[in-house]
Amino acid sequence: MKTKGEVVFFAVCVAFFGFMGAQAVALMGEGRAGEIGSALWPLIALCAALGLSAVLLFQAVRRPAAAAVGGEASEPDARDEARRRRKAVVASTACFFLYLVAISFLGFILATLFFIPAFAFALGERRTKVLVAAPLILTTVMTAVFIKFLTIPFPKGVGVFAAFSRLFY
Amino acid sequence: MLEIYGQAFATVLLPQNLIAMVLGALWGLLAGALPGISTSMGVVLILSFTYTLAPMTALVLLVGAYLGGITGGGITSILFGIPGEPSSVPTVIEGHALAKQGKAAAAMWTYLLCSIFGGLFSVLFMIVATPLIADFALRFGPAEYFALTILGLSVVSGLSGGSMLKGFLSCFFGLFLATIGTDGITGEERFTFGTVTLLGGVNFVVAMVGLLAVSEIMMEAEEPFKEYKGMVEYRGLLEELPRFSLFRKYWLTMIRSPIIGTIVGALPGAGATIAAFLAYGEAARTAKHEPAKFGKGAIEGLMAAECANNASTGGSMTILLSLGIPGSNTTAMLVAAFMIHGMQPGPLLLSQRPDIVYGIFTAMIVINLLLLAITGTAIRLFLQLNRLPYSVFSAAILILCVVGAFGINNSVDDMMLMFVFSLIGYFMRKFGVPVAPCILALVLGDLAELSLRRALLLSGGSPLGLVSSPISAVLLLGALVSIVYPLIKKPKMLASS
Repeated sequence: MKTKGEVVFFAVCVAFFGFMGAQAVALMGEGRAGEIGSALWPLIALCAALGLSAVLLFQAVRRPAAAAVGGEASEPDARDEARRRRKAVVASTACFFLYLVAISFLGFILATLFFIPAFAFALGERRTKVLVAAPLILTTVMTAVFIKFLTIPFPKGVGVFAAFSRLFY
Repeated sequence: MLEIYGQAFATVLLPQNLIAMVLGALWGLLAGALPGISTSMGVVLILSFTYTLAPMTALVLLVGAYLGGITGGGITSILFGIPGEPSSVPTVIEGHALAKQGKAAAAMWTYLLCSIFGGLFSVLFMIVATPLIADFALRFGPAEYFALTILGLSVVSGLSGGSMLKGFLSCFFGLFLATIGTDGITGEERFTFGTVTLLGGVNFVVAMVGLLAVSEIMMEAEEPFKEYKGMVEYRGLLEELPRFSLFRKYWLTMIRSPIIGTIVGALPGAGATIAAFLAYGEAARTAKHEPAKFGKGAIEGLMAAECANNASTGGSMTILLSLGIPGSNTTAMLVAAFMIHGMQPGPLLLSQRPDIVYGIFTAMIVINLLLLAITGTAIRLFLQLNRLPYSVFSAAILILCVVGAFGINNSVDDMMLMFVFSLIGYFMRKFGVPVAPCILALVLGDLAELSLRRALLLSGGSPLGLVSSPISAVLLLGALVSIVYPLIKKPKMLASS
């Protein structure tokens, strides 16, 4: 069954591989006998990927729509469930992205301390004990193993956060 | 020869290596046992720990995780009916049925003993076969290497799952990713768009962590994890340990299954899953004692599947060490580990670093014995681990991913690149595009391109130079068969299993 997302996904693939293919063409140049230059190999890969994406896009467009065939997607419960799932993915992905950004500003320890409960909450964890105890335990373990034992030089953060991080590493 | 193995044993049994093997095996068992963490993901997650370790210590740690992961897949399969690994699906069918009949502990011990037997059997095969294959492979030039990488890439058909088109799309995307950065021959910049981060190319560890591990967590977020709280009665070791008569009764299965597992494991792309299904299917087809029990708790089916999936590890390692072809996702991670420590698995490894090759042989024997001891004593602990809240557990996995990506170059850019790959991996999985072929192509792409260009330079640009030697012609023919054969056979085999 066709989904809108599938059509969009393969359309993006076609656009991406087409754009990169054009970039690869620009790499072509004259070489010695037998020398195939920098462009040939990526061109082969990109042309093949472009062709396959186009075929898959065509297949996705031609398939009958999901709602029209099954009718399940139109049920309120199924729609609510799908929306809830999407929310969980978006929220947890956003948490992870913010964590990666925050590491540079807050430092590894503080960012990790905030990330764990936020991520667990985004996944649906509501037990207060877990949300409080898990960050403390996990951050302590991670700090001990990676910062103290393996001495990985994680970012310390900026300003007052850097001063806090320096207490530990 | 005995002297070499004596030295290898002495090296492997050094305290730091012994600790690494124990930790690797423990982590692998955990990764294999817990749904949501595959063996390959488990190996990726500990890759970051190995950067500062000595090569031998790093490799035995990772091999420990690999063997542990394949073994651990059976734990949750039997106890909770959840395959920790795809190769454990036959174990779920028979093992979990036995557990529901109140024979969980007996099934666990049978699975464990068969797994270790299969693992040890395949190590013996590896010891005999690897030097022979490596000697032969020393005759390889650029054309042969190109043909070999194409043979490696041809396993895409085996890794594609449902759609071959999507599998090949993923593969070509991986080949493209491998071309990003500075060209190894002309020094030209390709697809870097002026960024310094991409000058050195896409780091495969960063890509693997994003595509495999983080995207898997994102997929899990979509389908909430179930918490399994069912306890299984355990009456003690002596009560539950299977008797020798059981193995004597099914002697044919005990011999046939590891042979199937080792041979299938040695075929690039076939791996533990197909090995387990084949051996299970063969046991079901030839069952003499209780054929009606298959599907309802046949101990023979459990034995066949577990002997075969563990035996596949030796087969995979044989082609990895002798030819440098990663036969599965996990052995592709091991290629990355070799490269991180300045080594290239393949024909030259045996002549350049025999200490490493023989060390791995002996380590695999030791790890299998360690797995027997660890799993045997830790069955109750594994029961408790499945009670951990998944939300916190997945947060911990993501932190390990961040550590893995950052630790390569101590670069924040690598973490961001990992995030980009995790989004790509998520959407690939979401729309049924398998990520494994992409990773395989990313690992093999660079070698394939350089070999092709060198071969064409030597032949003055004639493509016939690629098939002028018998070795390259046979390898390319093998690649063709490897692509076409699963198209015909795989659906039939899975249906019959």
